[in-house]
Amino acid sequence: MKVLSKVFTVIVSAMLLTATSAYAEHHGSKGMNVPKIGSMVVMSGLSNPWDMTFTKDGSMFYTEKCDGLSVKTASGKTHKLYGMKGSKGYKSSGNDLFCSGQAGMLGVELDPNFKKNRTLYLYSTSTKYHGSGCKTNFERCDGNIVMKFKVAKDLSKISGRTDIVKDIQYKPFESNQPFGGPGAHNGGRMAFGPEGYLWVGTGDRHRGVCPQDNSLACGVVLRIDGNGKGHPKNKIKADKRFYTYGHRNVQGLDFRPSDGQAFTAEHGPWHNDEITALVNGGNGGWDPHEKRAGRGACPDQYCGYEPNQMEGMTPAVRAAYTPMSDTRFKDLMPPAWNNNGYSQGTGSAAFLKGKNWGIYEGRLATGIMGIGFGGTPGGMRIDIVDLAKDGKSVKSVIHMPVGVSKRFRGLEMGPDNALYATTDEGEIYKVSAQ
Amino acid sequence: MIKLFISFFGIVCCLLSFQALAADAAAGKMRYSKTCVNCHGPAGKGAASYPKISGKEIPYIIDKLETYRSGTKIGPNSGLMIMMAKPLTDEEIANLAAYLKDAKYIVNN
Repeated sequence: MKVLSKVFTVIVSAMLLTATSAYAEHHGSKGMNVPKIGSMVVMSGLSNPWDMTFTKDGSMFYTEKCDGLSVKTASGKTHKLYGMKGSKGYKSSGNDLFCSGQAGMLGVELDPNFKKNRTLYLYSTSTKYHGSGCKTNFERCDGNIVMKFKVAKDLSKISGRTDIVKDIQYKPFESNQPFGGPGAHNGGRMAFGPEGYLWVGTGDRHRGVCPQDNSLACGVVLRIDGNGKGHPKNKIKADKRFYTYGHRNVQGLDFRPSDGQAFTAEHGPWHNDEITALVNGGNGGWDPHEKRAGRGACPDQYCGYEPNQMEGMTPAVRAAYTPMSDTRFKDLMPPAWNNNGYSQGTGSAAFLKGKNWGIYEGRLATGIMGIGFGGTPGGMRIDIVDLAKDGKSVKSVIHMPVGVSKRFRGLEMGPDNALYATTDEGEIYKVSAQ
Repeated sequence: MIKLFISFFGIVCCLLSFQALAADAAAGKMRYSKTCVNCHGPAGKGAASYPKISGKEIPYIIDKLETYRSGTKIGPNSGLMIMMAKPLTDEEIANLAAYLKDAKYIVNN
């Protein structure tokens, strides 16, 4: 009897297991690979680390906004390569490079053929091309550049600086705005696209005419070759280097691995942070120009924080006055995500690559610095955004369980399929999934 | 007359010390974490283009916050600081100053 009972128990258990397994498979939970995510500090005590880029063997180049470019080699050695004016300890420096407010040494990228051509690209604020401009906030100010260098084989120095973009706009003086210091909305993120061209994000530099006047390098995304020439298929006729225009401040930029689609992540003006799929010749829809779209005059000719720019107010009311994505533009690129109407400091983006990310592989990690005003919660975090195939909506957004709450400034995938993050507090974190 | 002045000076010093002692640094830390941390970073260490405010003497922070609270502009981010300082009470300002004087940033990992 005991034997029969045992046999019966085994048969029933097997049936239940099979049924459960079939149910799980049918409903999609079987094999759902939710990775375990953890983080660790790989560097600390840095001064405003901004961006990183990696060689295939794991050496990491990184910028510090007011100091310069360094590299931490795969063997753990650190070389200070190229400094700003007045910085100390660097092998060489640029006496024209400076920092102010949000501006300074920002983006860094390695050429896709780095192993062969040893070429590195660097974005920084510079006095070299100010010329007769930059006398006021209301005129042209060529104050940001993209440089390229050759990197020594042992990574101990860089040389042969060539400036390939010389006219990205810069805000030279303080203005009557809440974040009104010089250097505001300075863009700075760069990324190589799948076709081997360099994409460069710029900001509106608090100048009302910038984003919709697509002849100035402000509020635009450039798609250029290694010599600074525009991609032959760029559609904006006013300047063949421009891929899109109508942006506020592009500091998040990456390409979806499955189809190469470019996405930007932008910080909104006290409303509507946005993630947007870019379209060649498209308009981000940001237009802070005064006396347009029913608006009157604005402080220092910039309506970017209006109305009532020195007081908190309902984000939706402000959004109706100066929208992040103004639907009156026929060439508008509609955002996929708007952070539920909040502005919390979205400023970086990187698609998660590698099987170790499980169900999150191919989703967009987005760094949010946690800047909340007028009742908006700060919300420092990294979000994982599952974008729809057409790039015009999101399927889900979750907060990545990083374990720390920081002002995440830059995100970059490493060759080890870990996500690396710079923080304004001065660290570089490695976020791993397994 | 000199004795009278010394006595008066002593009383003022005592009152100031009492104010500093009476301030609640723990309450200041709580208040700091509500809004100030968003720009000035953890423990007032400064972040991005927002200045370090930890390690400052108590009267310095009190003076700055009272100035902003009164609506006086003293720099490019005055608009933000005036907005943030307006709702602060005297007690909250004293607590914030007490907290920031000795606040230390520790990488929390």
